[in-house]
Amino acid sequence: MTATKKLNLKQKYQYLTRDMDWEPSYQKKSDIFPLEEFEGIKIIDWDGWEDPFRLTMDSYWKYQAEKEKKLYAIFDAFAQNNGHQNISDARYVNSLKLFLSGVSPLEYAAFQGYAKVGRQFSGAGARVACQMQAIDELRHSQTQQHAMSHYNKHFNGLHDAPLMHDRVWFLSVPKSFFDDARSAGPFEFLTAISFSFEYVLTNLLFVPFMSGAAYNGDMATVTFGFSAQSDEARHMTLGLEIIKFLLEQHEDNVPIVQQWIDKWFWRGFRLLSLVSMMMDYMLPNKVMSWKEAWEVYYEQSGGALFKDLERYGIRPPKYQDVANAAKEHISHQLWSTFYQYGQATNFHTWMPKKEELDWLAEKYPDSFNKYYRPRFEHWDELQKKNQRYYNPTLPQLCQVCQVPVLFTETDDPSSISHRDTVYKEDRYHFCSEACCEIFGNEPEKYVQAWLPVHQIYQGNCGGPELPGVLSDYYHINLGEDNLEFSGSPDEKRWNEMKGIKPSKKDDAA
Amino acid sequence: MTYTVTVEPTGEQIEVEDGQTILQAALRQGVWLPFACGHGTCATCKVTVLDGDVEIGEASSFALMDSEREEGKVLACCATVESDVIIEADIDVDEDFEGFPVKDYTATVSKIVDLSPTIKGIHLLLNSSMTFQAGQYINLNVPGCDGARAFSIANPPSNGQEIELHVRQVPSGSATGYIHEKLKVGDSLPLSGPYGQFFVRRSQPGNLIFIAGGSGLSSPQSMILDLLEKGDKRHITLFQGARNQDELYNADLFAALAKKHTNLTYIPALNDAEDDENWKGFKGFVHEAANAHFNNRFAEHKAYLCGPPLMIDAALTALMQGRLFERDIFMEKFITAADGADEQRSALFKKI
Repeated sequence: MTATKKLNLKQKYQYLTRDMDWEPSYQKKSDIFPLEEFEGIKIIDWDGWEDPFRLTMDSYWKYQAEKEKKLYAIFDAFAQNNGHQNISDARYVNSLKLFLSGVSPLEYAAFQGYAKVGRQFSGAGARVACQMQAIDELRHSQTQQHAMSHYNKHFNGLHDAPLMHDRVWFLSVPKSFFDDARSAGPFEFLTAISFSFEYVLTNLLFVPFMSGAAYNGDMATVTFGFSAQSDEARHMTLGLEIIKFLLEQHEDNVPIVQQWIDKWFWRGFRLLSLVSMMMDYMLPNKVMSWKEAWEVYYEQSGGALFKDLERYGIRPPKYQDVANAAKEHISHQLWSTFYQYGQATNFHTWMPKKEELDWLAEKYPDSFNKYYRPRFEHWDELQKKNQRYYNPTLPQLCQVCQVPVLFTETDDPSSISHRDTVYKEDRYHFCSEACCEIFGNEPEKYVQAWLPVHQIYQGNCGGPELPGVLSDYYHINLGEDNLEFSGSPDEKRWNEMKGIKPSKKDDAA
Repeated sequence: MTYTVTVEPTGEQIEVEDGQTILQAALRQGVWLPFACGHGTCATCKVTVLDGDVEIGEASSFALMDSEREEGKVLACCATVESDVIIEADIDVDEDFEGFPVKDYTATVSKIVDLSPTIKGIHLLLNSSMTFQAGQYINLNVPGCDGARAFSIANPPSNGQEIELHVRQVPSGSATGYIHEKLKVGDSLPLSGPYGQFFVRRSQPGNLIFIAGGSGLSSPQSMILDLLEKGDKRHITLFQGARNQDELYNADLFAALAKKHTNLTYIPALNDAEDDENWKGFKGFVHEAANAHFNNRFAEHKAYLCGPPLMIDAALTALMQGRLFERDIFMEKFITAADGADEQRSALFKKI
C-alpha cells in the first residue's frame, strides 16, 4: 500500500457541488428557495442525495465537444451527398415533420424546465445535476433541428416548427404536457420528466424514432440519436435518484409521489399515442408494432421497475391496465383521426397500402381486421372515386391531455370513452377516467387550459373560416404542407428525384 | 513478467501478469473495481492511467472516445500493462473492507457433522492459515464438477487454520451431492479465498439485524461470533429461518450465546410447524418474525441478510417497507443450480 491519497471523481464532483455551496447567513433559506416546501415534500437531509453522475465541467465540455464534432461531420457529409435521396420513401419525411414540431420543442422546454428547477433546490447536488441536464437538453434541441434542416430544403411542412408547436391543434398535446410539468413544483417536475418520462417511457419515444430512421435510410437522424442517447444514461440515472431520494427521505412523501406517478404515467401514455401512430402508419419500413414496443418497453421493463418500487410501498400506475389493454387500438384510432383531419395538419396523411394493411392485420390479430380495416377500405373506396374524406367538424378535445375525445372504452372498442364533470358551474370534457381524475385533483390548474378548438371558436386564432386559421395563424401552406400524400408536391418532387412514374390510383389497397 | 499496478485513490496494489487484464487481476486480488460487461463495450470500468504504459486492448470506440484515449483513459476490462502502472478508478473507499489477498490452499477434511437432515457441517484443515473477514466466502473445487463452488465460512476469523462450511444438499446439485454422499474425513480438496464484500461495516453506527435462512446461517454465525469475541457493544438480533425443528440447526449454540451475552437476541422462526405442538417459538416466515419483533420499523439499524433468493427477496421488502434502505442493507444471496435464471431487473438498486 502506498500512502498517496488523491481526490477521486466523486470527491472532485463534491467540490463542484456541495463544496461550492454555502449556508446563507443574512437571508432565510426558505426565502432563497421558496418553492421547496409547498408541494408537501419533506426533505430531512439533503446529504442523503447520491449524485447520479459524477462529471466535472471540464470533462463534460471535452466529451460533448467530441460528440458534436463527430455528429456535424456526418451532417455535412449527409447534406453534400444528398442523403435525403436515400430514404425509403417520401412518406417517411412526415414522421420527421411530426418529430420536429412535436418533440424538438419539448427538448427546448426541458432545457427551460431543468434550468428553472436547477435554481430551486436547496440541495446543491440536485441543483448541479439539473443544470447539467439543462445544457444537454438545449444541445438535443439544437442538434435535432440541424439534423432535419437539410430536409427542409427538399420537402414541405418543416419551415416553422416552433410556431406550429405553439399553435397547431394537435401539437397542444405535447406542448401542454410540458407546460403542465414546468408549471408544477420542482419535485413534481423531476418526477414527471426525469422519472416518468426519461426513465419509464423514454424508450417508447426514442427507439421508434431512431430505429425508424435507421430502417428508412435516414443517417442524419440516426447519428443524432446515438449522440443524444449517450447523454440519456445520465438523465435516466437522475430519474431514478430523484424517486429513491423522495421515497427514502420521509414516508409522508410516498402518497404524494404515488399520485404523481399515477398522473405522469397517464399523461406520458396519452402523449405517446402520437408515437404509436407514427410507428404503425407513418414509417414506410416498419420497425416493430406499437403493441410489441409497449410490451417490451413498458410491460416488461416497467414491470421489473414497479416490482422493485413495491419495496418502497409504491404500486404500479393506477391506470396501467387501461393503457396495457389499449395497445390493441390507439394507433389505429389516432391515424383514423389524423386522416380525417388531414386538411389541418403540417404533414401528409394517407391510407395504408394493401401489404401494410396485411402487416397490421398480422400484428394486431385481435383488433385490426375486426374494427379498423373495414373503415380504411371504405375510405380508400371513396378516395378512388375522388371523394377523399375530410371531416369538416372540429373535434371535442380532452381538457387535460388535449387529445380529441377519440379513444374507446376498454371493454367496448366500438364506443367512445367520454367523461365529463362540472366545476364552478362549467362543464368540462375528458377522454378517459384517468384524465378526469387528474382534473379533479387540480381543477384550478386545468380550467386554464388553452384548448385549440375552443380558441378557434372564440375567434382567437384568426379565421373565422378554417383555411384562414390554417394559413394565417398556423403558417401551414395550404395545398403544399397539408392534405393527402398522394398527389402532393412532396410526392411529385420525390418521383422526379427518383425517376418514378406517377403511381396509378388503384395501387392502393 | 509481472508488474505492480497501484489503484488510486485507495492506494491498493495488485500484481498483474502478462496477458492478464487489470480488471481480472484486481478482482482476483480482492480489489473491487466497478465493471459490468467485461468486454469493452459499456465503459463502466473506465479508469485513468496516471503513470506507466498500458495497452488499451479491444475497447469499443463508442465506450472509449478518441479524446479520452489521449487523456490516458482505458477500460480496465481489456487493458493490459507493460510496466508498473498507477491508475485512478471511480471507487469509494469502503473503510471497513480490509482487502485480504486471495490465495490458493489445499484443504483436508477434518470433520463432517450432520447439522440437519439436509445440511452438513464440513470442517477443513488448511495447509496454511487464511486471513479473512467474517462473512466472506471461499471457492471450493469438488471432484467431478467443472468450476469452483462458493461456500461461506461459518467460523470466526480468529481460527484461520481450520474453516467450517455449511453445505445444504441441492436437489440434483452435483457438487453438494458429492459432498453429502462421497466426501469423507481425510479427503483433500483445493480451494481459494477469501472472496466477497459481505462483512460487518464496523464503522457504521446502528444496532445489527441478521436474517438467515437454511444454510445461510454460515456467514451470520461467523460474523456474530466475531462481534462477540471482539466485545462489540451494539445490540445484535439474529433471526434464523427453517422449515421445521429438524432443519433448525445450531439453535442450542445461539440460545446459549443469547443467555451469556445481553446484547444478543436470538429468534428462530419455523415456517412449516403449524401442527408442531412442541414448538413454542415463532411460526411463520423469517421476515414475518422480524416484522413482528420490530413492529414493522427497522430505521436506524443495519441489516445483514444471508440465504436463498426467495428469503432475501421477502426480507428486503419487509425491511424497506419498514424504512430501511439500500445503504443500510448488506446481503449474500445463495444461488444454486435449483434456482431459475434471474428475471429482468430494473436499475433501481445497485447491490441489493
